[in-house]
Amino acid sequence: MNDPVVAILVLAPAVGGLAAWRMRGQTVELIAFAAYVAACSAGVGLILAAFQTGHVTAFGGIVSIDALGAYVLALTLIVAGLALWASPRYIRHELASDGLRPHDEGHYYALFLWFMATLITVPIVDNLGLLWVAIEATTVVSALLVGINRSPDAIEAAWKYLILGTIGVGFALLATLFAYASSVQVLGESSDALNWTRLMSIAPTLNPSLLRLSFVFALAGYGTKIGLVPFHTWLPDAHSQAPSPVSALLSGVSLVAALYALIRFHLVAVAGIGPGFSSTLLVAFGLLSMAVALPFMIRQEDVKRLLAYSSIEHMGLLAVGVGFGGPLALLGVALHMGLHAVTKATLFLSAGELVQQYGSRRLSAIRGTITAAPVAGVALGGGIVLLGGLPPSGIFVTEFAIVVGGVTQGFFPAAAATALLLALCFVALAVHGSRIVWGHPGPVLAASNFDIGLALRLAAPLLAVAVLGLWTPGPLISALESIKAILGATGA
Amino acid sequence: MSLTITLTALDAARLLDATSAGIVLVGILIAGTRSIGRAVWLVAAQAILLSAAIAGVGLATHSSHLVIGSLVTLASRGIAVPLAIRYILRQSPVRVERNPYLGPRASLVAAIAIVFVSAMAIGNATLVGSVEAPRALPAAVAEVLTGLLIAMTRRKGLSIVVGLLVFENGLALVAFSLTYGMPFVVELGATFDLLMVVVVVGVYARRMLTVFGSLSTDKLRNLRG
Repeated sequence: MNDPVVAILVLAPAVGGLAAWRMRGQTVELIAFAAYVAACSAGVGLILAAFQTGHVTAFGGIVSIDALGAYVLALTLIVAGLALWASPRYIRHELASDGLRPHDEGHYYALFLWFMATLITVPIVDNLGLLWVAIEATTVVSALLVGINRSPDAIEAAWKYLILGTIGVGFALLATLFAYASSVQVLGESSDALNWTRLMSIAPTLNPSLLRLSFVFALAGYGTKIGLVPFHTWLPDAHSQAPSPVSALLSGVSLVAALYALIRFHLVAVAGIGPGFSSTLLVAFGLLSMAVALPFMIRQEDVKRLLAYSSIEHMGLLAVGVGFGGPLALLGVALHMGLHAVTKATLFLSAGELVQQYGSRRLSAIRGTITAAPVAGVALGGGIVLLGGLPPSGIFVTEFAIVVGGVTQGFFPAAAATALLLALCFVALAVHGSRIVWGHPGPVLAASNFDIGLALRLAAPLLAVAVLGLWTPGPLISALESIKAILGATGA
Repeated sequence: MSLTITLTALDAARLLDATSAGIVLVGILIAGTRSIGRAVWLVAAQAILLSAAIAGVGLATHSSHLVIGSLVTLASRGIAVPLAIRYILRQSPVRVERNPYLGPRASLVAAIAIVFVSAMAIGNATLVGSVEAPRALPAAVAEVLTGLLIAMTRRKGLSIVVGLLVFENGLALVAFSLTYGMPFVVELGATFDLLMVVVVVGVYARRMLTVFGSLSTDKLRNLRG
């Protein structure tokens, strides 16, 4: 019954990409918009159904969307919408300034739509093998987007991303294989032996040493795609060199997609061998990521690399939160995932705007934007301070919840370390943010022309993030509660 | 007149064991060669051995999905991928690994050491339930590690890709030796991904040749901090 809706969700961007490949100008923008609207309307239907009934399945159980999957799907559609909305302005500027060649326009939208299709596939498949296939596909498609402008730096970033991403995700395949081996021992070679829902139902009977191996390899493999230290080295390069709307997708949702995959393995491990093993590893690698990202954020000279390192920090925080477990931290994790995705995407979009206007990505050049480029400048500077966790914005609330949740779960030293690192990151980001807005203005290449669309798509998401700390709408709370129930299904 | 091939499950396991040994041997040769062209043929030889093992087990167990899987492996990993890499290689001015971080002889010794370590570490593990081929899993893990070794110690872009392909062959052998492969649709998806990776490698190899004039990753060290 849901089959056609799911088919539209995935096929609309896939087919739209095919149609866009050789097109240019308004035609290609229209194709991309139409494909997005089709996918989005199918997606909204599925998301609402998943939250109302708890579970949507299609194609004989290959597709299975629970609250967590629906949430990641919703974030994907929101961030992809923002990034697609920003794309025409960005791409036209690149074409005009010879950053891109004329036929790149169609390729850009085609790859964008395919990237979106692969990202959409991740949270809706139940089979961990297909989940792996979808994540690997995100790497392949987005590697083409990272290097689309053919500059030496972009080629370097894309090459590293492709090679390290493929090797890293190879380890996640090993994780999948070990999970499959453990489940085949119980079920025999059944076609649903890799389905996550099936694995969860038989988790206590699975071979514990295979489950441990499986989680370790999932941590290294999907950890590479999440950007957990020490598997993160490709991330600042790829996220900073990609066209800014693509950076928004990469940092906003492709990291969350990989985290989603790791969480599925974590939940199987928790159900099979108890919370001790995988939670400890998540907390340790999460803290390491936060600690390593901090000095790179303090000394950063490149605005997009600053945002990329901040993504490493936030993914670290989410890993820590998942590791803490318990109702409070998990509720924080659920909301934080969304707030970070929306904030970071908006910041990359405003950074892209400023980089084009200043003709530089150096933080020493992009200063005093309050006079030179007020809309994007205030969005970037203010957004960066929000991102650091300015009280009482939503991000402050979720970070607070994760830290307090850690204390109540008995992770006292780790929670204290998390709080300290968050405070230091806030200071670093606040300094960068205030310089961007108030600093001594640098030279500007192109004067900013006011665009209502630009103002709307930069201001609205940031206002939402700020307000969500003080007031959270009822439906969102019940959605977050059901996500929390999945995250903590068998833990704590 | 009909030709019937009768293979018992035990024969199939022995075949897998023997081909695993062959794959390991070829892996050591790959680590020890400077010529990227030769390395690509050796990677193809590994994939052909792998597909033979899969076909053997498929015939013995009367599993049509394994027989089809072996043909897919042969066509993709054994033929299409090596030909594509050869095609890219022909456009590159330099086709030998001149100045690797770890020379061919040292790599050869390291690859042999990896095989011994894997055999000792995994040889006794009782992970494998259904497959009676004790050498397959250690061989597979050795190939995964050999691939990593090659990818990490070479400078030329295509040498790194050779390492990646050895790594991928190792992964395929792990899959096969643990559980006789994964569900068919997953295998197909994974193969499709691998082909796409090679296509994207080709795209960037061309861009690197245009922009840097070579495929040496020494040119790729601008992005720091």
